[in-house]
Amino acid sequence: MNKLKKISKIMIPLALSIAVLLYACGSKFLNKPPLGTISPDVVQNAAGIQAILIGAYAGLDGAGLNNSGWGSAVDNWTYGEVAADDAYKGSTPSDQGDIVGLFQWNASATNPYVGQKWAAMYDAIQRCNDVIRNMRLVKGVSGTDTTEWKAEALFLRGFFHFELRKVFHYPPFVDENISFANNNLNVPNIDGSGNYIEIWPRIEADFAYAAANLPAIQANKGQANKYAAEAFLAKAYMFQQKYDSAEPLLMDCINNGVTAHGDRYKMLTNYSTNFDPDPSAKNSSESVFAAQMSVNDGSASNGGSGKAYGDALNFPYGAGPGACCGFFNPSQDLANAYKTDASGLPLLGTAFQSGSGVSDPTGAWTGNVDPRIDITIGRAGIPYLDWGPMPGDSWIRSPADDGHFVPKKNVYAKSQQGTLSDNENFWANVELDANNVNLIRYPDILLWEAECKVLGKTQDLAGAQALVNQVRARAANKSYWVTSDGSFNAANYTYNGSTYADKYAVGQYTTAWTDATTAMNAIIMERRLEFGMEGHRFFDLQRWQAALPGTTSLPGNYMTTVLSTYATIQNAIHPTQYPPTVKFVTGQSEYFPIPQGQIDAENSTGKVYLKQLPGY
Amino acid sequence: MPFKTNGACKGLSLALFALLLSFSVFAQKTVTGRVIGKADNQPILGATVVIKGSRLATTTAADGTFALKIPDNQANATVTITAIGFEAYSAPLAGGLNLGDIVMMQSNSTLNDVIVTGYTAQKKKDITGSVSVVDVKAMNSVPGSTTESLLQGQAAGVTVINSGSPGGGSNIRIRGIGSTRSVDPLVIVDGVQSSLHDLNMNDVESIQVLKDAGSTAIYGVQGSNGVIIVTTKRGRGKPTVQYNSFYGTQQPLKNGFRLGGSQNYADVYALQFSNDIAYGGASPNNVYANNWFGVGTANYTPPVLPDYLSPTPYTTNPAGQTIPNANYAADQDPSKYDIVNNQITRTNKIGTDWFHEIFKAAPWQSHTISVASGSDRSSYYFSLNYLNDQGTLIDTYLKRYAVRANTVFNVKNHIRIGENAYIFYRQNPQITNQNEGNAISYSYRIPPLIPVYDIMGNYAGTHSFTINNSSQPVAVQTNSALSTGNDWQITGNVFAEVDFLKHFTARTSFGGTIENYEYYYFTPTPYMNAEGSTAVNSYTEGSGDSSTKVWTNTLNYHQTFGDHDIKVLIGTESKEYYGRGIVGQRASYFSSNPAYWNLSTGLPSTQSNGSLQYAYISGYPQQSSLWSYLGRVDYAYKDKYLVSGTLRRDASSLFAPGHQVGYFPSVSLGWRISQEAFMKDITWINDLKLRGSWGKSGNLQAVPNGNSYNLFGSASYNSYYDLNGTSTGSQLGLYASQIGNRTTTWEQDKLSDIGVDASLGHFDVTVDWFKKAISGLIFQAALPNTAGGAQAPFVNFGNLQNVGFDGSITYHGQVNRDFKFDITGTFTHYTSKVLSLPAGIQYYAYNSTGSSRINAFTRLQPGHAIGEFYGYKVIGYFKDNNDVTKSPTQNGASPGFFKYEDVNHDGKITDSDRTWIGNPNPKFTYGLNLNAQYKNWDFNAFFYGSYGNDIFNYIKYWTDLPQVFEGNVSSDLIQNSWSPTNLNPKYPRISHTSSDANTNQVNSWYVEKGSYLRLKSLTIGYTVPKNVFKWAGIDNLHFYVEGANLFTATKYKGLDPELQGSSLADQTNFGIDLGNYPANQKTWIFGLNLNF
Repeated sequence: MNKLKKISKIMIPLALSIAVLLYACGSKFLNKPPLGTISPDVVQNAAGIQAILIGAYAGLDGAGLNNSGWGSAVDNWTYGEVAADDAYKGSTPSDQGDIVGLFQWNASATNPYVGQKWAAMYDAIQRCNDVIRNMRLVKGVSGTDTTEWKAEALFLRGFFHFELRKVFHYPPFVDENISFANNNLNVPNIDGSGNYIEIWPRIEADFAYAAANLPAIQANKGQANKYAAEAFLAKAYMFQQKYDSAEPLLMDCINNGVTAHGDRYKMLTNYSTNFDPDPSAKNSSESVFAAQMSVNDGSASNGGSGKAYGDALNFPYGAGPGACCGFFNPSQDLANAYKTDASGLPLLGTAFQSGSGVSDPTGAWTGNVDPRIDITIGRAGIPYLDWGPMPGDSWIRSPADDGHFVPKKNVYAKSQQGTLSDNENFWANVELDANNVNLIRYPDILLWEAECKVLGKTQDLAGAQALVNQVRARAANKSYWVTSDGSFNAANYTYNGSTYADKYAVGQYTTAWTDATTAMNAIIMERRLEFGMEGHRFFDLQRWQAALPGTTSLPGNYMTTVLSTYATIQNAIHPTQYPPTVKFVTGQSEYFPIPQGQIDAENSTGKVYLKQLPGY
Repeated sequence: MPFKTNGACKGLSLALFALLLSFSVFAQKTVTGRVIGKADNQPILGATVVIKGSRLATTTAADGTFALKIPDNQANATVTITAIGFEAYSAPLAGGLNLGDIVMMQSNSTLNDVIVTGYTAQKKKDITGSVSVVDVKAMNSVPGSTTESLLQGQAAGVTVINSGSPGGGSNIRIRGIGSTRSVDPLVIVDGVQSSLHDLNMNDVESIQVLKDAGSTAIYGVQGSNGVIIVTTKRGRGKPTVQYNSFYGTQQPLKNGFRLGGSQNYADVYALQFSNDIAYGGASPNNVYANNWFGVGTANYTPPVLPDYLSPTPYTTNPAGQTIPNANYAADQDPSKYDIVNNQITRTNKIGTDWFHEIFKAAPWQSHTISVASGSDRSSYYFSLNYLNDQGTLIDTYLKRYAVRANTVFNVKNHIRIGENAYIFYRQNPQITNQNEGNAISYSYRIPPLIPVYDIMGNYAGTHSFTINNSSQPVAVQTNSALSTGNDWQITGNVFAEVDFLKHFTARTSFGGTIENYEYYYFTPTPYMNAEGSTAVNSYTEGSGDSSTKVWTNTLNYHQTFGDHDIKVLIGTESKEYYGRGIVGQRASYFSSNPAYWNLSTGLPSTQSNGSLQYAYISGYPQQSSLWSYLGRVDYAYKDKYLVSGTLRRDASSLFAPGHQVGYFPSVSLGWRISQEAFMKDITWINDLKLRGSWGKSGNLQAVPNGNSYNLFGSASYNSYYDLNGTSTGSQLGLYASQIGNRTTTWEQDKLSDIGVDASLGHFDVTVDWFKKAISGLIFQAALPNTAGGAQAPFVNFGNLQNVGFDGSITYHGQVNRDFKFDITGTFTHYTSKVLSLPAGIQYYAYNSTGSSRINAFTRLQPGHAIGEFYGYKVIGYFKDNNDVTKSPTQNGASPGFFKYEDVNHDGKITDSDRTWIGNPNPKFTYGLNLNAQYKNWDFNAFFYGSYGNDIFNYIKYWTDLPQVFEGNVSSDLIQNSWSPTNLNPKYPRISHTSSDANTNQVNSWYVEKGSYLRLKSLTIGYTVPKNVFKWAGIDNLHFYVEGANLFTATKYKGLDPELQGSSLADQTNFGIDLGNYPANQKTWIFGLNLNF
């Protein structure tokens, strides 16, 4: 069969050549780059670096980051307030039961909340490092550009490390040299001899670079500027009791400081305006630096974990502005702190803790209160913005556990619902709003400066008193005081009635302070009253745990004293939350454990890079 | 451009076929005959008639007749006739053209059955690999809407875990768990990669499961999870029409979650507080105060159920005290009804049986009509299927409309051209099974006091009883009925085969799958719920498509020289995947009327978009390709000694150049001992074969597209920021989204197998031992958080080993001419063990995707199986305060709470005291199939069981710890919970506290035994005698009645011990009960098979 032979002759070479050809198809055939993303060379230009920088700023909202959740909320409501004496967890006992370990000061190293904070902050930190790493690969940009980018990136990097330092004591410092490519991700928190490495000098260096290189005025209101950097550098010094290093920076802010859009720093007339989500109220002359929050911005595609997610649980339970959850209830102790005497001065030390409690169902305080209470705490019968009088326990999920108060500073007015609260798809969209989280407000600077004057070398007690009185004078401005008649005006966040909702009194310290203890007791109380529920309390106590120079009855371990007393009081009124076993342990409870998963990951080769904190 | 080059390749190939078409034509004659069975003299349908040594073949029609055209020069050839279940018949034609009646002997042996394996077909006796041949008829005896679910218990070595969700997926594991990610086997339907999920079982001719490397290595990097080969039906003989249909009803489980009624709920509520005072050291003031039960007492008193939940009988005054509600009576007046502020709701004082409010009896039907015909020139098979599986969970269903068309044309005797096409349209909105946020979970979370409807007929829910936060399950399901989830697919191939040079066959096949899907859902404001009652409504709509294109070319050579039989196969294959999709969402719709819903009618500022891929891991479009060479040699000497070798070379686009190419060899040996002379005298051994194989295959299902690249991305929720403080907008930001790894490659399996196939008298036995060693397991690198937020790359590390044995045994019995039966048992055993993880990594802890309120349930650690439960070991309850004091220090310790074992004996209970508390992997699973025929009656029973698996009963977290969101509780909670007089009960002390000693930790209290035995189906059928309906042209009419899941014997108290993971693509969490859509519901079916 000739034909077949012929075919076989043609066939075999043909089949072979086809096979080879097919292979040629194959090599290009295998080139399938990923879709919907871009490679690094596309971003290595001026516009790209700007966008990476915005991505780093996006870390400020504490949401959308690696492993982020309520444990990474930028206002630190769990660590800064619930773990201190200002607030209860809220909701039912088992709901977000991981917070129990935080406020009972015995969190396990596997507690997911601490894992969230850690992961989210390092995500944000590497975004800052990405700015610096990629900036160096951009061709044809001016030195001014790179200095500005670097200064902003280092400002943010300093801030995120500061967050870690407050919560974890000895977190490793991650700079731009740390990367997967450099194979050096096991960043140690101990040195060669096994001693913890203190990262304050690295944080200071980042803020110092930012302070030296950032302009005073920026294009965007939410951008970091020179004075924000100085304020954070001063804050870092305050945490190290370096009052004399902090003071010149604070004085520069007081004398020359302006916001990123050029307003001289000053306190607003109305205390309440600081908690208004309206863009005209945000980024005011009082807002030294804030995490910007936005709503209705198309970020719902990830199930709502958008901008202000960190506080999404912290609304009244199921009614009023709340749709859900009923967390973060102000404590009875915080309410009692707002008691004032006949001249409008607070009851210092532990004096406010005795006698009847403010709005306590078993017999309420009938004396004066500081008017800031009703901006900070939602109390039964008192108008709650324009949501009507707070109805009482029907807004509380489990009064036996949560007390009788609801948070107020993070909430928005009813008339703002839908415009400044979210409309996007989320199981509790009405609990996402555009309220900025103020990270430093101008009174912070004034009260830190007052501390410096007491505890630093100047020993200017009169100057300190004047600063405290300056903060109190604003609080005494009646225009924001809550009235029980009339209505709430969301345009300027004031109540326009004429009858005040409670017996408000806030007076000036007129008797000259003669010793540091008296002065510090007043400053400590003032910070609590001014910044209640804003996430600072635990960390202030942490600062004051060190011996305060010149004071007599504040000999150190102040934090232990305050929180141990608090635990004892709470055991009587909320025994399910504070059983007798709850103890604040000096040398341990000031910080939270380093996440076990991170210790395991970093020490995976057997060598110890990351060492757990003492006591955990 | 790759595409263009590819086109050129195709062109060349077509040219090749054009060339091969140029064969000469011979003069022809026709051989005819009729094939009948010896036992019953009935005609045999579908017997294969072949002219030996040629490609001339046909099959018999329903009446047993055949007609085969042969060339003149074949007039003296030998004709061979084979039929399943009969001994082969062989006789020379000797010039005769009408062979008359050919009588075939019934055979007990299936040795000559032709089995389709990787890229080829072999006689069963020649197979050296481990291949389970599934009894398709037995498989079809169980009702099921997805074909993979029917594999359960039918094939040795295959473990299948199903749920009752219509159209839900199954966990399929062939020889253990070979990866932490997907272990889905490769499914080949008619030679093309496809899926079992929506296959119409009535179209299936045969199913083989390839298990060892000898049979799977030819699928290379896709073969390590086993390969399932499906062949669909071909037309045979005269045109016949078949109608197969069943109609049935599924019954919800009788018991549900065994929860208590309203008074029980209230009593438990009160006990939480009084117990804490009595035993927990709480102050006597720690009493409850709420708007429904008023103020509690320090000593337990049962609360009085109010007549109404809303208005509430109590209220709080501004001082925070709970007082009687002055407006209670007045606000009950229907004229005061206000859905937001006064949703008047009567208390259901007996208690709403939420389980049976959402689970109702549901109909199930399936109808298939097929037409088939075949001759030596062409054959066709055409079928139409309508399936409507209404789930017992209200508003869940699977509706499928499917068409199959298979045709083959024989051109000039040596060329076959054909196609297989399957097209279906599916409507299958599904629930997220095993999730704390679905209606099933809500049915045990919501308190029984709440009625389904308020006084105006609107849904009542926790909005009227805010002590609990559950969503309302009936509302959730009814609302889901307004959603759609539609899918449209075409899958199949076109092929051509040419025989040439006597011993060669070339084949080309181009096929694949094209899929389109679309869905939308509307989420109304859940006014009836405690949470989100004021949230805005929203509407989401998405659609997408994907395509897989597979082009396969093979060349076969087969020749016999004396005692030597040699077969060689070489081939190439290319596979290309592309998929993308979009989703959009808006909120704040003016109306919840479905006619109004579209993406442009919602509030514009709430618009959010997503770009999605389909069926892969991350949220981007996907593309990938695979390019392969394959080869196979089979050699047999004297039909006794069998050797096979395969080699495949795969190159995958998922990896970086340099790491794309892998070689996957295998070798297998067989020895048919029964063919040896010394065995000839042992008459009870019909056949005995010893076989062994070794080889490599791979798995790359866990690797996402682009894993080798460093990438930047941008997402509004993640990298955008409102830098200018506008409150309602944000500026574009970028973030590093992925860290690439250039060296990642596939997971590699080394699989060894030793097996025996025996046919001993009336028994057929197959047993295999195997060892599957997986190296380079793909994990997402566990980088420290210092790496930042970019997705860590998937990298290879870790080794895993599965060792086990599996087998099947069949007994064919025939009592007399009227009564036949056979019994088949299959069993599957594997032990899976992690051998190593990356240097220094001690373990990985894994959360369930369905809920993780008490931390990770499982841990992956060398020396243990995938999925083992890890937590504290409960050694009892604290007896009293003295016991608390003298026991190791434990957070939250209190009388009646869990007392954990101090594993490291350091005097305190810490994280390091956690230990292994259970294993969800069964020791073995088994199936038992009984078939009998008596005259016109047929009978089938199928049992399936699983032995030795543990279950993590997470439902107890919700129902037996009442402080957990104050949800509904078990009916026996009060009697069987801790008290000083009941120190060792089922449940801990009823308490309102939450701590590591009760609600907050994974511990052994949750772990229960999960063994079970289930009667999956019981069928009795009757075939109407032929003459009855002969007048109507009906050839065959068969009725049957079937009961499915008639009983499940188990000690497990949950709904169903058969538990899938919350995510089928994740093997690290399974056997955890979150309220599984039960797979054990009784089903009654009436069915009918009609041929004409």
